[in-house]
Amino acid sequence: MNQAKTVLIIDDDPDFVRAVGHLLRSAGYAVASASNGRDGLAHAKTARPDLILLDVMMQDRTEGFFTLEQIRDVPALRTTPVIVISSIYSDHPVFRVSPESGWLPADLFLPKPIEPARLLAESARLTAPGYVAGEATTGKGSELR
Amino acid sequence: MRSDDATVVAPPSGRFRVFVIDDDDVMLLSCRRILEKAGYEVETFGNGHDGIGRLDQVRPHLLLVDLKMPELDGFQVIERVRAIDPEIVIAVLTGYATIASAVEAMKAGAYDFLPKPFTPDELRLLVNRGCERWHLAAESARLRREKEEAERRFVTFVTHQLKSPVVAAKQYLDVLLYTTRRDLSPQALDWLSRAQARLGEMLGLIDDWLTLSRVERGTFCDRQAAADLCEAVDRVVGGIRPQASSSNVTVRIHANGEVRVCGDVNSISTVASNLISNAVKYNRPGGSVDVSVSACGGMGVLEVSDTGIGIASESLPLLFREFSRIRTDETADVPGTGLGLAICKRIVDELCGTIEVDSRKDEGTRVVVRIPMAEGNPHEPGEDRTDHR
Repeated sequence: MNQAKTVLIIDDDPDFVRAVGHLLRSAGYAVASASNGRDGLAHAKTARPDLILLDVMMQDRTEGFFTLEQIRDVPALRTTPVIVISSIYSDHPVFRVSPESGWLPADLFLPKPIEPARLLAESARLTAPGYVAGEATTGKGSELR
Repeated sequence: MRSDDATVVAPPSGRFRVFVIDDDDVMLLSCRRILEKAGYEVETFGNGHDGIGRLDQVRPHLLLVDLKMPELDGFQVIERVRAIDPEIVIAVLTGYATIASAVEAMKAGAYDFLPKPFTPDELRLLVNRGCERWHLAAESARLRREKEEAERRFVTFVTHQLKSPVVAAKQYLDVLLYTTRRDLSPQALDWLSRAQARLGEMLGLIDDWLTLSRVERGTFCDRQAAADLCEAVDRVVGGIRPQASSSNVTVRIHANGEVRVCGDVNSISTVASNLISNAVKYNRPGGSVDVSVSACGGMGVLEVSDTGIGIASESLPLLFREFSRIRTDETADVPGTGLGLAICKRIVDELCGTIEVDSRKDEGTRVVVRIPMAEGNPHEPGEDRTDHR
């Protein structure tokens, strides 16, 4: 039997973690969580999750961005898919993130609240065996607001 | 007298400071006597160079300057002082008082004008008014800064304190409805779905509100950027198609190639998205929406026409006002924030464009947006490129 894929949620909102954690567990994922970037990074280093969900705005407005850079600095986590989530995202880009610039090495941006069907579909795609992290940084999904 | 405003170089004593520049020593002496007696701090200069040079060390609140002087004349002094510190209030004294020279001095930036000879009372009155003027300007600058700060704090407040709990509540409902839909009683399903939709409306309102506030503070639009109208329309229509087909409304695009206009993708998409979603929402089953992009006379033109319910002519003037949703039986069930068109208007204004609405009740609505083309467009301005897709 295949071992369950693991997802790490890094978010300081316990309600969000509980709701989305429930959704992912109901779809067969094993879920861990951290309420800040530092704990999240420490957990990711030891547990090596198959997917990371990372909130941009935690204690500090930009904590998530720094956490993302730190995650990418760890060789073992360089190819771990990361979905950046934020309630400041919407249909249109606001941060004017240029996908070419590559300064935000996330695989996907999703707005909060997350649409359950979309999250499950993207999680399945990003944790599928053939997926290579960092290659999906162009197109609609990579625009953050 | 008050001079507690930190941004203005106030005299240490807190007294109102007046500079007088005149090539007539007698005039300087009498001004000094009259004003010092009235409690002002006075410095006098026999020519413009000395007066302007002194600004390096200390700034007056009010400057009185003679118009006719050798070397630097009054107009040149006014111009240089305005360039150094626009907050200094300037009044002109002159023995050659004509309407023309008064008008010219005002145009150059002087606030008041006193013909020579004048009585001590007239001088005191002039300086008093100048003093009031300075305080009003300082006060309005302070209020403006406070207002901007309050707006900034408010936006931060709305984003975090107001939006976060709504997001969390809606996230629970989204997950609950997704994972347990089949186990819910019909009434629970209905009520939870309604609660979910209402929270969605509220989030839409908060987002629109934040957008409007960003547009108004000038932090939303980027006029220096360029965006392709055709691409924006394609993307927006792609996102709206599911909603359109569930309402049985056909959306057609008439555009190809590229029409690059001045403005960032975000602003352009926001305008296109609001107009096209309105055309779908305020439509009827079996109706249609035509979206065309063209270039005409140096402007990129986005036109959205629908066969919808239309707008009564008396309601048209209210259309771009904030929260002005037009209430009729037909619009009662249409969700909306009443901010969409206000946002469109503000963005189009910021991008130096125009927006026009033409509508007939029960027949449909046509909105035309024109935005200046960006440089380096692949298509000749004036070329009308409409093609049916």
